[in-house]
Amino acid sequence: MSVESAPGTPPLILLHRVSRLYRRGVDEIHALEACSLRVERGRFVAFMGPSGSGKSTLLNLVSGIDRPTSGEVWVAGQELNQLTEDELARWRARHVGLIFQFFNLVPVLSARDNVALPLLLTRFSRSERQRRAEIALRVVGLEHRLQYLPRILSGGEQQRVAIARALVSDPDLIVADEPTGDLDARNAEGVLGLLRQLSAEFGKTIVMVTHDPRALRFVDEVFHLDKGVLLEGEEAERAGAAMRVAAGGGLMGEAPPARSPGRAITPRA
Amino acid sequence: MGYTGFVIANLLRNPLRSALTGSAIALAVLLVCLLLTMPAGLDALLTSVASDTRVGVINKSGLVFWMPYSLMRKIRALDDVADAVGMVWFGGAFEEQGKVTFPSFAVEVEHIPSTYPDYKLAPEAVAAFARYRDGVIVGRQTMRKYGWKVGDRVTLRSNVWNVNLDLRIVGEIPRDSSPIVWINREYLDEAIKAQGRPGLGIVMIIWVRVPSPDRVNSVMLRIDELTRNTDYETTSQTEKTFFSNFLGSLQGFLQILLMVTALVSLCIVFIAANTASMAVRERAGEIGVLRAIGFRRRVIFSMLLAETVVLSWSAGAVGVGLAWVVTTSLKRLGGSIAALGPLGGFSVTPGVIIQGLVLSLAIGIFAGFAPAYGAARRPVADTLREVF
Repeated sequence: MSVESAPGTPPLILLHRVSRLYRRGVDEIHALEACSLRVERGRFVAFMGPSGSGKSTLLNLVSGIDRPTSGEVWVAGQELNQLTEDELARWRARHVGLIFQFFNLVPVLSARDNVALPLLLTRFSRSERQRRAEIALRVVGLEHRLQYLPRILSGGEQQRVAIARALVSDPDLIVADEPTGDLDARNAEGVLGLLRQLSAEFGKTIVMVTHDPRALRFVDEVFHLDKGVLLEGEEAERAGAAMRVAAGGGLMGEAPPARSPGRAITPRA
Repeated sequence: MGYTGFVIANLLRNPLRSALTGSAIALAVLLVCLLLTMPAGLDALLTSVASDTRVGVINKSGLVFWMPYSLMRKIRALDDVADAVGMVWFGGAFEEQGKVTFPSFAVEVEHIPSTYPDYKLAPEAVAAFARYRDGVIVGRQTMRKYGWKVGDRVTLRSNVWNVNLDLRIVGEIPRDSSPIVWINREYLDEAIKAQGRPGLGIVMIIWVRVPSPDRVNSVMLRIDELTRNTDYETTSQTEKTFFSNFLGSLQGFLQILLMVTALVSLCIVFIAANTASMAVRERAGEIGVLRAIGFRRRVIFSMLLAETVVLSWSAGAVGVGLAWVVTTSLKRLGGSIAALGPLGGFSVTPGVIIQGLVLSLAIGIFAGFAPAYGAARRPVADTLREVF
């Protein structure tokens, strides 16, 4: 398989033979083995696979939360391995917006203050931080919930606040770890639709880990993982088909909108 | 919302826990501040009551051993001695009030004004003391304690000399903290002789006034030289040293109390550290998310440490404030409740305020450092993996 790149623009994410090994006592766990992939700017991609397949590890590496045991991780033109812990933190603040399964809002802060949290790391004035937080909340349709504490908001609303928080610093990359995992069907659809909208209308690159087959209808690409390996070719097709069946398309006769399966890139020798 | 607002919001997320931890710190700081006021208070008391130009002479063997009355004449004859007064412990008990006792001495009336010019006794009191053999001059603290006033008659019983004396209060020692009662030595002498016993003939403590501080040492040496190789060898000290030694045991007691309080403060550090650890553990997910979205380790560390420091410092300020309220109240009450004694003279000085605030700051830093450091150092991926 060859390296695919849009003419003239470098990919936002480029992984080259990335492995991640965990040691638990004498045991070695290969969470990820020699993964190589690229994601172009503005794409909405999903990492899918069974539990323990390495999806979250891959997401952590792409977002600069974790470091590979070997291989190179390039995001937004920066090789993350070269950065110190503090430089990585600074880099994440500037380039990455994060969305988690359990929302993880600060319970004592209002929706607006939660959204404004990443802006504390900038030099914006207090009023500017508030203004930007309000805009982000408007984008996710929660401009009427500015002063609400998270406990008063529904699960779907809390996840929208989390999306606004990920969006507020205008990052190159939005990373979502099971964003619909704690939501009912209606709210899950709403959140996926919102992420799709952010990608389509604002050109945001979104990388999402999910088990949710509904996601197939919203994403541009899907990368399938199994046992720490990025699946390719027929294996990837089979995994995609199984996912579509799980989504109801194969059995119910209405397939989810066909979007392209994500493709791993052939590692350089 | 800025960092300050974020820190305060976090402090208020569990108001009961913050209030309980703060109360423990405030109480520790209150205790320390109250104890810190005492040495300074005692020093101030000493400075206010004791003179460095008055010398106390006692038997070298101890305060309860006597010296012959004839020594008074020899001492007064020495150069650089302005005057001297010999005193005998009377040990008066006021039987109407449940046999309470107070420091009472039989004194040589005519030598009081010139030995105690700094007491500024009222001239009419001095005159009446000389005129009436049953006259007595009483310290203001004792006057207030029993509601006595000039002109009152009181009966004091001496358990030392086994006599009852009917006394007429003729004046007051105008010092708030003075409990002393001076009675006429001749009056006591007569009462003892009236019982068929020999008269006093002794002194137990001699107070000598020296015109200037630079001659005090020389006078003390010459007095002690006078009695060398007699069976009543003396030891002389300035009044300040005398009272200071008298209070020495109290100072030692205060030192022990301070050590105990320091240990209590250390316990408070551990309690506060435990509370901070619990709070950090409960918020591990949140802290992980903050790290993930770009908060650097030092920022996380500073915010978490700031929480314990702000709590501890605020509680410390409350503790210092309470100490001020307590000492101010004691001072006010001290005027009317003589039983408070020197407690009424203690006050929270700027030094005590600074020490109290520094202590609370130290409690906050020591309590918050380890939990904050641990949370900040933890790899963000590990935290997220463990929590989610």
